[in-house]
Amino acid sequence: MKLSISRYNPEHDESPYLQDYEIELVASDHMLLDVLLRLKQQDDTLSFRRSCREGVCGSDAMNINGRNGLACITRTSTLREPVVIRPLPGFPIIRDLFVDMTQFFKQYESITPYLVNDESPPEKERLQSPAERDRLNGAYECILCACCSSQCPSYWWNPDKFVGPAGLIKAYRFIFDSRDRATEQRLDDLGGDPYRLFRCRTIMNCAEVCPKGLEPVRAIEAIRLKIAQLPVHQGGLETHPPKSPK
Amino acid sequence: MRLRFTGLAAWWVQRASAVFMLLFIVFALVAFWLYPRHSYLEWRSWASSPCVVMAILAFFAALLLHMWVGLRDVLLDYAKPAGLRRLLLGGVAGSLFGMAVWVVLILARLQT
Repeated sequence: MKLSISRYNPEHDESPYLQDYEIELVASDHMLLDVLLRLKQQDDTLSFRRSCREGVCGSDAMNINGRNGLACITRTSTLREPVVIRPLPGFPIIRDLFVDMTQFFKQYESITPYLVNDESPPEKERLQSPAERDRLNGAYECILCACCSSQCPSYWWNPDKFVGPAGLIKAYRFIFDSRDRATEQRLDDLGGDPYRLFRCRTIMNCAEVCPKGLEPVRAIEAIRLKIAQLPVHQGGLETHPPKSPK
Repeated sequence: MRLRFTGLAAWWVQRASAVFMLLFIVFALVAFWLYPRHSYLEWRSWASSPCVVMAILAFFAALLLHMWVGLRDVLLDYAKPAGLRRLLLGGVAGSLFGMAVWVVLILARLQT
């Protein structure tokens, strides 16, 4: 398999460049991450994040043939060669495929990503009806891999002001959680600023590249409708079968 | 008070203007389909009736507001230097205002 991988070492490179690799595939090379791990055995200077290898942790998000995705769930058999691998676009590059996700997690932190409920806790647990629980479907599955935010032009231009699709789908998850009691504060926080929520231009790259098949754009629209006091679709958010890079 | 179409207000403006424009376009197409107008005088007579003049004015108001919100958003994203941004926003605002005046002049001429 032929690969062209973005390399950058801040100690001696002025800017990133593409380095070509060629590696013979073996029977166990099902996913792109398998190939990258074997490549790293040959060239231990090649740097990238990975952890669970199951598409759950979101660590190995990268830009594969122009499209963001997780290397661990991208099948080698479907990839066009040479496979061009770059770091997540729009994020500062630390080294090779490592990107600085500080701003991304600052935005995530800014939406208060936990349930706020000062009422005295019940004896066992705070119960939800099946319908209340269904509202969280399509949002709670987000693994914060940053594929969506990194492919969002609105986030590229305003990473410090616009929360981004990943943060906003998480915000939806708490705003529409029947156990949360901070809905008004959450809506004021997002609706009171022209950038944090309303910078989304419904480009829909977020839904297109989400490796879990989620649609953050629908979460964003639901929050806007809630702020505008318009009816919001009941039930969870729509999802779709995820599309892998080709 | 300064009229600012940002955040929720801009969102409302874009959606309300889009809905109005869609309704007007459907109305105009149906009107032309049901009552075809074959000459300039027939067109002029239709376009100069008070109700149609008001609808056309409202259509262009919606169109220009929609354009302002959309183009301003594009410029806020891409034109980062403050001076360049002000210049481009001023150019867009001036152009849209010019178009608005032009529409009013055309409709006023129809009344004479």
